[in-house]
Amino acid sequence: MKKNKKVIFGVSVAVNILLALVLLVAAVKAGAELKFNYVEIDTITPDTLRSNLERENYGVVASLSRPIRGGAEIAEGDLDYYRLGEYADLLFMKEIYAEAGNAVTVQSCEDRLAEIRAEMPDYGSLFDKIDLSAENAKRE
Amino acid sequence: MKCISCGGEIGLTDERCPHCGRIIKETAGHRNELKTYREKNETAKRGLAKVMDGNVPLVISAVVMVALIIACGIALYVGENAYHFRSDAMRKDAKKNYDAYSREIRDYLDAGDYTGFAAFKEAHNIAEWEAPYDDLDLLWEMAKEYDWLVSEVESSVMFGRDAQRYRPEGDVADCGRAIRRFYEEYEDKRSEIDGDPYASYIHDMKAKADILLKVYLGLDDAARETFLAASDIEQEAYLEEVLIDEKE
Repeated sequence: MKKNKKVIFGVSVAVNILLALVLLVAAVKAGAELKFNYVEIDTITPDTLRSNLERENYGVVASLSRPIRGGAEIAEGDLDYYRLGEYADLLFMKEIYAEAGNAVTVQSCEDRLAEIRAEMPDYGSLFDKIDLSAENAKRE
Repeated sequence: MKCISCGGEIGLTDERCPHCGRIIKETAGHRNELKTYREKNETAKRGLAKVMDGNVPLVISAVVMVALIIACGIALYVGENAYHFRSDAMRKDAKKNYDAYSREIRDYLDAGDYTGFAAFKEAHNIAEWEAPYDDLDLLWEMAKEYDWLVSEVESSVMFGRDAQRYRPEGDVADCGRAIRRFYEEYEDKRSEIDGDPYASYIHDMKAKADILLKVYLGLDDAARETFLAASDIEQEAYLEEVLIDEKE
């Protein structure tokens, strides 16, 4: 009987340790999930951005990066991709604002474009490629 | 019971009469039985206590196990439903920050930046279906379509010289759908739009969609009308020419 009790106690302690580990992992995961913003949880987007940048699909990068223009929090490691997309998006939209006569908006687009270029000096050649793609996108 | 010597009242367990001091022999058997019973009772109690003491660690372990199972369940539930908790929290935040967010929304709208407005609305989980943002309902409906239209055209026309496009034919179909959808929604909701507090922005959104088609798809006013009146197949044939043939 005593021996059985010892075995049961040992098993219960082992189960408790296991449960404590599960709890730790679940609590950490729950904490991280609660801190998400909708861009971070969409883990596909940064990968898609990266892949489309490599494939020079700048319009896709631009449209996928739009959350950054709405003030969404972006994970630090993905920020560059989103900024490149923001650059492409603003370049694309600027033509529409210019044609619509929204001079103030065009100016703020240009200011932000210059700001992004200044903030990311290592991407000079990529910005040039995006500039060219925006120019070639026009059909007028 | 009375003492046979003095007649005083005596108890069943009394060894001596409390009145005359006589040793009471008549209840000696009863007292012995009681003593034996008490001893047995004590022994049983001690045995039980010993068994209980031996089980305390087991009981504590069981209680800890139950507590851990409950805590794990709660943590897993929170983890699984974190999106909804967070969404609710963001929606409440959006309500709390109504004044500040409204100013920001107005800035986007005044700038004609409807894609920015859509992104802001999404990023801050603003619920347009309930107060205090319910006046944005129609504006949001149209901004969503406009955002999709811009995204599809942008994705279809803007790429580098050595681009490897994933599926140009798919882009053509998506682009056609987005264009049809935006203009159909605009026409279907025309009377609602005219009575909406944000009507001027929605009309401006449509004007910008016209410009988008003109600048990036070569559809001026007349060509756009012809395009919109054409069948889906004819529209896609035109888009295929502009988005694939000419780009190659």
